[in-house]
Amino acid sequence: MSSNDILDMYIYETNTLLEQLENIVLDAEKENTFSEENVNEIFRIMHTIKGSSAMMEFDPLATVSHRIEDMFFIIRENGMAVVSDANRPALFDLMLHSIDYFRVEMEKVEAEQPLNKDVDSFLANINSLIAKIKGEDSEEAPPPAPEPAAAEPVPAAETSGAVPRSNEGNPDFRYELRVFFDEGCGMENLRAYMLVSAIQGFCAASDFLFEPAGVESDASTAEQVIENGFLMQFRNPEDREKAIAEVRSAGSVRSYQPHDFEPAPPKVSIPAEAVAAAETPAPAVKSAAPAKSAPAKGQQGSAQHQKESLISVNLSKLDELSAIVGEIVITEAMVTASPDLKGLHLDAFSKSARQLRKLTDELQDVSMSLRMIPVSNTFQKMNRIVRDMCKKLNKQVKLTLIGENTEVDKTIVDSIGDPIMHMVRNSMDHGIEENVQDRIDAGKDPVGEIILSAEDTGSEVIIQIKDDGAGVNDEAVLRKAINNGIASPDVEYSHKEILNFLMAPGFSTNKEVTEFSGRGVGMDVVKSGVESLGGSVTITSEQGKGMITTMRIPLTMAIMDGMEVSVGKSIFTIPINNIRSSLKITENDILHDSVNGEMIKIMDGYYPIIRAQEFYNLPEGAERVEDGILMWLESGDCSYGLFVDELLGEQQIVVKPFPTYVNNFDIKNYGITGCSILGDGNISIILDAGGLYTAARG
Amino acid sequence: MNTAKEDVLFQQVDDEGVVKEITGPESRKYLIFIIDNLKIGIDAEYVVEILNSYSATYLPMMPDYIEGIFNMRGQIIPIMDIRQRLGKYPKGGESLLIVLDYNDTQLGIQVDAVELMMDIPNDSILPIPSRSAQKLVSGMCTLPDGSGTMLVLDCEQLLGP
Repeated sequence: MSSNDILDMYIYETNTLLEQLENIVLDAEKENTFSEENVNEIFRIMHTIKGSSAMMEFDPLATVSHRIEDMFFIIRENGMAVVSDANRPALFDLMLHSIDYFRVEMEKVEAEQPLNKDVDSFLANINSLIAKIKGEDSEEAPPPAPEPAAAEPVPAAETSGAVPRSNEGNPDFRYELRVFFDEGCGMENLRAYMLVSAIQGFCAASDFLFEPAGVESDASTAEQVIENGFLMQFRNPEDREKAIAEVRSAGSVRSYQPHDFEPAPPKVSIPAEAVAAAETPAPAVKSAAPAKSAPAKGQQGSAQHQKESLISVNLSKLDELSAIVGEIVITEAMVTASPDLKGLHLDAFSKSARQLRKLTDELQDVSMSLRMIPVSNTFQKMNRIVRDMCKKLNKQVKLTLIGENTEVDKTIVDSIGDPIMHMVRNSMDHGIEENVQDRIDAGKDPVGEIILSAEDTGSEVIIQIKDDGAGVNDEAVLRKAINNGIASPDVEYSHKEILNFLMAPGFSTNKEVTEFSGRGVGMDVVKSGVESLGGSVTITSEQGKGMITTMRIPLTMAIMDGMEVSVGKSIFTIPINNIRSSLKITENDILHDSVNGEMIKIMDGYYPIIRAQEFYNLPEGAERVEDGILMWLESGDCSYGLFVDELLGEQQIVVKPFPTYVNNFDIKNYGITGCSILGDGNISIILDAGGLYTAARG
Repeated sequence: MNTAKEDVLFQQVDDEGVVKEITGPESRKYLIFIIDNLKIGIDAEYVVEILNSYSATYLPMMPDYIEGIFNMRGQIIPIMDIRQRLGKYPKGGESLLIVLDYNDTQLGIQVDAVELMMDIPNDSILPIPSRSAQKLVSGMCTLPDGSGTMLVLDCEQLLGP
């Protein structure tokens, strides 16, 4: 692993942990408490971040996470009750702030910028909160900082006969590290010794001590190691950090606990007093101790499990894989449908060919599913935005997520985050009413609602952001549009046209630039972002009822099922999902409207007919409807008949994007999304049913 | 239809068979092709392949000078009729296809014939008198072997929209 890989790994891991942390905190905030499980999880996350940040030498990050870890140590030891109701909001805010802080710093790490070294004020915040928590706690328990130190000796004291050296810490070797090995892994003393020799590699023997001594020769020490863990004491904190890295990489380690020994003079000088002092917290600590190690073990187990079942793969490798699978599919068709085989009856060959076909199908499905990830992560992030904005804007809004398990291609997930965020902010800022009274007067629930939904229709993903706010004020929008020179004062605009002004560049109805929206970039950025994915954005709104923004994004399916049709010499592929049926019609079935458009009545509806040859100006193609076939297509809310020459059959195709040069000519606007190489080496053109309709109908 | 058989005349231009008159960094290799008795040179660095057999698939809604697209070993490459691009009448009949790759944009251009590959010193390429007189041409030069003049094709402009 090069150092770059390690850095990538670090960034990836930390970001994943932060996401996890944010979800926990947001959920916990709703409950107004951290469950024991949450506390353990947060503790573990902070611990991991601290360890890895220290390893990467991002000291400010390590320091901050260390303090948060300390705070959660107190909570873990004493239960959530230690934080009074008055302090809880502060705790949640602090956690979210720290997540933000980490995120900002991680971005700097990623951009290879220097980190913000000045974390003092931030640390002061954490410290003051810790002090508050401690302050409340002080009546029942001694200050927590020395508490663990005092707590340790208790179990040690009980078995003190076996432990020769004082376990109460050594002021010269203040940085302790206690390692527990997996239960029943055997030869604990030798495992401990292996750690010692590894640590001796970078740490002079005079700079650290270990306990129990003589692990390399005395097998009976194994018992002690099992009982009390293997304690190492370092003179320098750096050495301990390195040792932690060593411990992490060692096998059979169940858990380890770094701990700073704080010399407490009375305790060291007068042992009796120390015992007395230790007596008080002992019951509490004792009861906490087994609980502590058990979940810690469980966590370790589940973390391990996660590591084994999930691996992170470079996206470019997946791209490469799907490209190769695509080629295999084509080649398979080329081989099995080879013209050389015409007229031959090859039983064994056909059998193997069928088997091959089945396997390539499976291969395709698997390779496709690799790139699909649920949108839930992106959706979850909105919880945070809604929460923050509720506080800032003093509005009460709940966010409802629907269909967050919808799986879409990774590239789509990456690029819809910003548009969705922008829309949610927009709804929060402009949509939901300023005054609760306005909502009550309008007969609405005082708590506003934003619904974020995702739906996979098979050919596209539909993402909707819906709020039940005040809706769009057409007049205000029009006035603004005229002021901005987007609209002309002399023209009458329809409701739909006015809504479209919202997406015009440089349009922002808010008078002032706020922290959240209205930064000069607006809906036009959302629009262009979605369009760059080949999708579209539409806004509908009813004044007083709210606003709905709908984003339709085609699934970038590398491989899809399509129906091939021919028009003259051209071959087109229509996605199977868009086809309702195909029908033979006669001239008499065709109805005409006033502007010479053709329509057909199918069952109880009238549908427009688009002639592919006419629309695409193809040189050849059937003129008489009797000579061709009508494909009844449907996409989203449009439904129409496409007239083509012939139905060639269903085929699985590999979608190839058009070459860059072709993209200069905007053919996407005419419902052509890509092309595909057929088994015989020819090219078919893939049609987008929705796009074609829009282009033809204007 | 047939699997387009691709007879490769030149694959990846190399030094062999090239008339070497002047070498060095101050000269570049040009592939000289002919349309309508005009000699046009293109920087050989951008030439990927020369094919004499291919089957174009018509692509609707494209300008007239785009013949369509074709499949070159799994890659989709647009075909441009350079005569029409230059405002001449299409010729029809057999033609050769030069496949170019300019900054990762690929394009096949139909030409009447390919003549030869030649080193042209950079300083012998002169600006054309009036840019508007010839589209897509960035300069011209007298060929070192005295066989006439050559127009230098401007790939940048050619691949522009």
